[in-house]
Amino acid sequence: MSTTAPAAARAVGVRRDDAPWFGLAARIVVGAVWLVAGALKLTHPDASIAAVRAYQLLPGGLAEAVGTVLPAIEIGVGLLLVVGLFTRAAAVVSGLLLVAFLIGIASVWARGIAIDCGCFGGGGADAGAASSYPWEMARDAALLAGSVALIALRRTRLALQALLLPAPLIHPTPVEGAGS
Amino acid sequence: MSSTKNEKADRRQKAAELRAAQAKREARRRLFTIIGVVAAVVLIIGGAVVVSLASKKDVVAAPAGSSEYGVAIGDKSAPHQVIVYEDFLCPFCREFEAATRDDFAQLASDGKVYVEYRPFDLLSQIGDYPIRAASAFAVVKDASGPEVAKKFHDLLFENQPSEQDPGSVSNDDLVKLAVEAGADEAEVGDDIRNVARKDWVSEATAEAQKAGVTGTPTVLLDGKVYDNGRTIDDIAKNILAELQ
Repeated sequence: MSTTAPAAARAVGVRRDDAPWFGLAARIVVGAVWLVAGALKLTHPDASIAAVRAYQLLPGGLAEAVGTVLPAIEIGVGLLLVVGLFTRAAAVVSGLLLVAFLIGIASVWARGIAIDCGCFGGGGADAGAASSYPWEMARDAALLAGSVALIALRRTRLALQALLLPAPLIHPTPVEGAGS
Repeated sequence: MSSTKNEKADRRQKAAELRAAQAKREARRRLFTIIGVVAAVVLIIGGAVVVSLASKKDVVAAPAGSSEYGVAIGDKSAPHQVIVYEDFLCPFCREFEAATRDDFAQLASDGKVYVEYRPFDLLSQIGDYPIRAASAFAVVKDASGPEVAKKFHDLLFENQPSEQDPGSVSNDDLVKLAVEAGADEAEVGDDIRNVARKDWVSEATAEAQKAGVTGTPTVLLDGKVYDNGRTIDDIAKNILAELQ
């Protein structure tokens, strides 16, 4: 039985042999988005906190903590994905964050609150925001799909992990009579 | 025959030992690499949090009543001071106003709080309404005094245009609201229509920026940003509870 990786790859129309390359592409795209999103917000913590607060989901103190720490986590996840270290763990965090963002946008949409999602900096009230919710959710869903694929994929190309932590070689245990 | 067999067994054992030692070294190398990578990740994320914290700006506002760009209610010697930075176009400000105005007025007249409202222009990239409205506020304040200005300020929020159509409240509408608040049309009409106090608005905005205000409403209780609450209504409720 093969793992779910080729299945996941096939689901997006990639041949089995291409899965590692598809994994590389997913890593770069998803990772780069996180890096950009984190970097744009990192030096504007006050705007980041205001953006979190605008969702009106978290109490003041927690909104402040999330607004301060989230950009750093985004950068960390993005970096790990781009270089290909601990890819699966990073992809799990990436997926969880995206699920949280999807819930956040869906909830403001459902409550009729019009805010800039603050995804790449900015944030706060924005009267015309409702029209961009579908596109923002589609984008997050696509990134979520990429993250899920990366959780499923066992190996991806050009991953630092392969260099630093190669999969342990399966030593052919010398068994009497084997191999002869 | 038997000696070669023994030699073979010996070699095999030695090889096995070598492999075991090598496997051990490799396991240790892996462990250290993992520790190193985890440490690097923690350092990077921790460093990023530090950068973020270092970039945080505290709002340091002039004490209530000392700004030229606001209107205050209550007694300056009240035990608490509240400062509200706001933009006349900001819907959250209207929400905060609606949730606190009457209670603030009551608390102020009871001598429990001194409240200063500081309008400035945050949202003029959407339309020039914030500038027109704040200029009109300055005109009314200078011509008719703080009480009429406060009333006008209340009316401006009650008649706030939507952010999607900030032009729906015209300068003539602003004059009507000013007159409703108690201003004399002959005194304020022309200046409101001509947006005569743009300079005042720029200065008020520069002062708010200098104080570190980046959003509206920014509410300060006794000099500290007050943001305890999930929604604007929560924040309003909580600050009122603190002032009781």
